[in-house]
Amino acid sequence: MATVFMKWLETRPEVYDRGIRLLTLGRLAKLHEELVSRFVSPGMTILEIGCGTGTLTRSAAEAGAHIMAIDRAPVMLAIAEDRLSETDLGDRVSLKLMDASLIGDRYDPESFDLVISSLAFSEMTAHSRSFMLAEIIGLLKPGGKIAIIDETIPEGLLKRVAYGLLRFPLRVLTWLLTRTTTHPLKAFPDELVRSGYSSECAASSLGGALQLWVAEPLPEEDGSVDAGLEIEQLTYRRTMRTYLLDIWSLFFRIIPPYPKFTPGLYKIGQPDDNSPILVTGNYELTVRRLVKAIDGALDAWLLVADSNGINVWCSAGGGFFTAERIIEAVRTSGVDRFVKHRALILPQLCANGVDGWRIREETGWGVHWGPVYARDIPAYLEANRKKKDAARWVSFPLKDRLEMLSVTLAFYGLLIMIPVAIFWRDGFWAVMMALVGLGLFYAITLPWLPGRDGLQKSIPLTIIALLGTLIYTALVDPVPPADVFNRILGITALSVFTAAELQGMSPLMRGEQANWIPEALVGSVLLASYFLVPILVGWT
Amino acid sequence: MSEGPSMQEVLLEHVELARTLRRLEIHFDPEACKGVWQCYEVCPIGCWIPDYDGRVVEFHHGERCIACGACVLQCPEGAIELRVPDA
Repeated sequence: MATVFMKWLETRPEVYDRGIRLLTLGRLAKLHEELVSRFVSPGMTILEIGCGTGTLTRSAAEAGAHIMAIDRAPVMLAIAEDRLSETDLGDRVSLKLMDASLIGDRYDPESFDLVISSLAFSEMTAHSRSFMLAEIIGLLKPGGKIAIIDETIPEGLLKRVAYGLLRFPLRVLTWLLTRTTTHPLKAFPDELVRSGYSSECAASSLGGALQLWVAEPLPEEDGSVDAGLEIEQLTYRRTMRTYLLDIWSLFFRIIPPYPKFTPGLYKIGQPDDNSPILVTGNYELTVRRLVKAIDGALDAWLLVADSNGINVWCSAGGGFFTAERIIEAVRTSGVDRFVKHRALILPQLCANGVDGWRIREETGWGVHWGPVYARDIPAYLEANRKKKDAARWVSFPLKDRLEMLSVTLAFYGLLIMIPVAIFWRDGFWAVMMALVGLGLFYAITLPWLPGRDGLQKSIPLTIIALLGTLIYTALVDPVPPADVFNRILGITALSVFTAAELQGMSPLMRGEQANWIPEALVGSVLLASYFLVPILVGWT
Repeated sequence: MSEGPSMQEVLLEHVELARTLRRLEIHFDPEACKGVWQCYEVCPIGCWIPDYDGRVVEFHHGERCIACGACVLQCPEGAIELRVPDA
């Protein structure tokens, strides 16, 4: 049920807009106005990068300009389209679902008078920004400009401290209310200059935390456009931070925000132009496991693509980690400058969402499906990109089962045990022991319990648990029939819940959401009998 | 709060999704298969086994399939589908 509610919340467009309004204390609209009144004139052709719900798009169109607005989030774009249909601006605006890294391919050179963007550049990595700025130069007509509104960290120590003090509680509040957050830019004017632009801050708000930059390409000097970004080397290290993170993720890794790794190109060891390119998502634990398996064993390039900070399998299944994200990473990282070959090695488990053929067609790079587990990568590369069957199959050994059990139990433990602690303190330890005991028993005996999915496996689990309860009741703690009945109901409910919900932790079974209708039915029957049976039988 | 789907619509959609997820089955058209074996490359369960003589693949152990959809997406011939079987 919780997931349904969260999903419902996420689909509410006003929630995102409200979050952004709160985070910028309402000043964003002022800067939008400023941008439109000073730099947009009727008849202009404008490209908007990352239009989101289309607020800036609309005001620029109202000023009489023609706008191509692109965004890579279908939900946001659908809202923008919806809102636009309520106006008569339709013939001046064209909305497109597109990743910004593709603008150079999709639009003709010198076709825009102005490129605008609001809160989109701060969502990109430094590599992406430098790539985008270079692409935009080619798309601007002579005399064309860019106007970018974004959040920034103010310069000067005093301002920074004040900013931090104001921003932290605001960020927490906004996250709690709307699950929205942003990542302010640092020293953006320097980036503009490095990419060959002039830069001028045209307006600023919130003590410099929200700024409007206007810039135009400078006449090209020889070789000045190549920003020549340093490639960072990753090594496997354990620090206080990684220990704390490991402890947190042992119990609460399913609770967002997930620890994210900055997407981009990295080195492991000392790779040269023949070294393999490994692609992965930007969940920090994934990157760390990968680096642990590779560092010291071989030299490789690591291309971290944006998977919304989620592991590759779930992210690809959920539609976040796609061919587009990998194409974007290949383009914006400039990885082709570092290697002679054209082969990407992708994690096998992202194949449920990343269309390999689309990457091959769009980029001309070869796509190879690496092994499931990072630990098999050295052997895979040594065998010339051939996997043994064991390296292509997911497994679910006891160690993983116990790890996933602690993750699931911690989360459901909070959901179940807090109400129990409040409303039924006497039953706290009994419920706790039953939950942990059932979970442990299930995790250990999972491969041997008959049944192919969590629901079928819940039948043997329930029978065993009921036998245990009855023996305990008969031999250790005899109680009146009404209490025996309640124990039976409680244990049945917990067993079915444990087996059906913990299905989601296994990579060998379909997701646990497949179970929730039968589970809800069993739950309602048990609840109904809890109230009805005592009346029918006449217990008081 | 007038825009967007209602709580009830989201709930119904979830019910439908749950029903579908339980019933999905692989449908494979061996005639269309050209033997690129991408399905074998990406299946994490081992349901696809290459037939080295016939240059095609065979689908085994359908009951173990977790309906992840990887083989469907990677098949260049569109020979694999995940479908709810006709009633």
